[in-house]
Amino acid sequence: MKKIKVNKNKYTVIMVVNIMVVIFIWYLLSDVFKVFRNGMLPGPVDIVKTFIYKLTNTAPGGNTLGGHIAASMIVVVTGYIIGVGVGLPVGILMAWYKPIDYLVRPVFDFLRCIPGLAWIPVITVWLGIDLKAKAMIIFISVFVGIVVNVYSGIKQTDEVKIWVAQIFGASRWEVLKRVALPSALPYIFTGLKVSLGMAWLGIIAAELLAAQSGLGYMIMVARNFGRADLVIVGMLTIGLIGAFLTWIIELIEKKFVKGRR
Amino acid sequence: MSKILEINNISKTFTNDDATNSKEVLTNVTFSVEENEMVVVFGPGQCGKTTLLNIIAGLEKPTTGDVKINCKEVTAPGPDRAVVFQNIMLFPWLTAYQNVEYSMKIRNFDKAERAKEAMKYLDLVGLNGFEQSYPVKLSGGMKQRVGIARAYCTKPDVMLMDEPFGALDAQTRYLMQDELLRISNTEKRTVVFITNNIEEALYVADRIIVMTDCPSTVMEEVIIDMPHPRERTDQKFLQLRKEISAMVNRRR
Amino acid sequence: MAIKIKKINFSKIFWGVLSIFLVFVIWYIGSQKPSMKGLLPNPIDVIKYIFWSNSNKIGKVNIWGHIYWSMTRVITGYVLACIVGIVLGFLTGWSKLGSAIIKPFYMVLRSIPSIAWIPLAILWFGIGEQSKYFIIFISTMLIVMTNVIDGVKDVDRDYLGVARMLGTSERKMFWNIVLPCAVPQIFNGLQVGLGAAWATVIAAEMVRSSKGVGWIILMGQTAMNMTQVFAGIIIIGLIGLTLALLMRGLEAKLCAWNVRGK
Ligand SMILES: Nc1ncnc2c1ncn2[C@@H]1O[C@H](COP(=O)(O)OP(=O)(O)OP(=O)(O)O)[C@@H](O)[C@H]1O
Ligand SMILES: [Mg+2]
Repeated sequence: MKKIKVNKNKYTVIMVVNIMVVIFIWYLLSDVFKVFRNGMLPGPVDIVKTFIYKLTNTAPGGNTLGGHIAASMIVVVTGYIIGVGVGLPVGILMAWYKPIDYLVRPVFDFLRCIPGLAWIPVITVWLGIDLKAKAMIIFISVFVGIVVNVYSGIKQTDEVKIWVAQIFGASRWEVLKRVALPSALPYIFTGLKVSLGMAWLGIIAAELLAAQSGLGYMIMVARNFGRADLVIVGMLTIGLIGAFLTWIIELIEKKFVKGRR
Repeated sequence: MSKILEINNISKTFTNDDATNSKEVLTNVTFSVEENEMVVVFGPGQCGKTTLLNIIAGLEKPTTGDVKINCKEVTAPGPDRAVVFQNIMLFPWLTAYQNVEYSMKIRNFDKAERAKEAMKYLDLVGLNGFEQSYPVKLSGGMKQRVGIARAYCTKPDVMLMDEPFGALDAQTRYLMQDELLRISNTEKRTVVFITNNIEEALYVADRIIVMTDCPSTVMEEVIIDMPHPRERTDQKFLQLRKEISAMVNRRR
Repeated sequence: MAIKIKKINFSKIFWGVLSIFLVFVIWYIGSQKPSMKGLLPNPIDVIKYIFWSNSNKIGKVNIWGHIYWSMTRVITGYVLACIVGIVLGFLTGWSKLGSAIIKPFYMVLRSIPSIAWIPLAILWFGIGEQSKYFIIFISTMLIVMTNVIDGVKDVDRDYLGVARMLGTSERKMFWNIVLPCAVPQIFNGLQVGLGAAWATVIAAEMVRSSKGVGWIILMGQTAMNMTQVFAGIIIIGLIGLTLALLMRGLEAKLCAWNVRGK
């Protein structure tokens, strides 16, 4: 018992030391010896400075970091909620009603091979580059991710469980509600997580291509100004928020799925 | 005859990670096994038979006591003992043939020798023609045969079998018991055979170690000196069956 | 190993054809509405356009030229990513020391979506091919790595016990047990990774390039040529589908022992 604990501590120490050493070497290279003359890889100090600066300053990009975050978030949340709202029932219908399955599945199998961001040019021509347009791009990505997972979740429901429920006189609707959906729940949550990732990726792509605010726009502008420090600040912010959103869904998942396992 | 395997005063207590809960499974288990003997460990379900076998195999450490094989203490798993696992545990990514030759391959025997031995044991368990099948394509009985061939091919000093026929239907089970006796007739081996089925125990054993309920220990050792093949409806067979069953029930 | 040829399922084909036909009909009717003029091209025109581009140039090269460029980028980035991802994944998943060293950086990089690398890649490597290889590499590598780590973590501990029993030394454990156990999960990573590489190259080509399938659709948008955009999207889907089918075929061959492979 004790030995295991000692080992664990040993590796934690290695990990912490390792992180510090890497950051220190990074600092030495970029800030002390100035190996990357042209600011291609700014040092850790610069990045922290830029981060703090960007919290209150709008230039370049016309908005503070918080403002860009808000701009991206509002689109992601809108597109995500609508995508989930439409994707869930469509996935269920496809999995549960044979004719719909037969009719929709072939088209769907093809559609899911098209990355969501390939629709950006179409959406831009149709709807412009406002919130509605970007939310539409998010919607498409989320919709596909949700349908795929809900569909396969319900399809893999144990046949035996369904028979048992039917033998006990449950109607088709009841079987769906009481048996198929609960057992598909882990898949549904996987779908929620995967498509959240897609939504977050989609918004960055959309903002890189056509936008006037948002984190993707911010890093694109920073690139135009050759500001690697701001690009990296943007990337880290994007990563952090993505991780935070995933964490929230995992919390909800724990609440929902726990009691049923 | 010489003692090949000695189990001295084994006790085993399972404790969960934060030491709040502990369960004593084995207490003071002592017995020994002689060369080429077929010893059956018979005990009720959940009494700790698999635990005992894992300790002999070296997969688990006893809380107190020790296991000696050829007078050397067991500290880790090794190919001087071979296990036929309760849940078989064939490697699913290897064919039947590759599973059987695995232990020789890992010890760098040359290819020709491996092929000779592996084919011999596959033949012995009656699986010629299925060498190239992956485990997913084999029936339960066939998998169990591969498991037995794999154990024999390790050339162990002691074979450990954990309810090897437990998952089979009654018909296949009788068949496999006969097969086992036939195989160990051609290939003399020391076998520790675990079962919770008294009839099976009486059918194959040279000696039966009767275990008590959990926390379990050796209750009785019974030498079975009936000649093979045994008749399950024989007077003496039924008599022994009654006695041992009574023994176990009395202690419950 | 006998490969069974699946019985051709005619009702499935029937439904497939019917469903695609219906989509085309709805699409066609939609495109005939006056309000959709210039926004939704006629599907017949789109198909004609695809055949036309077979022998006529869009920009600098014909459609095969664009596909060639996109595929070169994908394959270069993908192959590198698979090699590095598998090696790093095993180091992280199997060795505690490796995990302590690699995991923290892996966690940070993994949380950043692949597309967000595009600006930095352009800053570092310019707008040429290198930046595209880099973006595809980094996105695919992290996906492959994630799957390898999971695959190694999920190796059934009991198999390790059996292997020890059969005389496997700790040194040989990796090649003989851990690696084959992790193969299905690794394969999953390679599959998902290929899809991601394909999506990433489209994005990268849309942001900055002068050829490639992603360029086709962005140019279509700029020139307001919706026929070209839709033709591009269909080609992107067809290639994505082909890649997915190829990987599935490969998996069925290599993982014949696994249920997934059936
Ligand atoms: N690793 C472990 N940790 C905690 N408890 C364990 C562990 N392994 C076994 N046990 C407990 O020890 C007891 C004996 O288990 P064991 O598997 O040895 O029984 P068994 O006689 O082989 O049963 P069966 O006839 O079902 O095969 C059980 O109650 C089990 O819950
Ligand atoms: Mg057991």
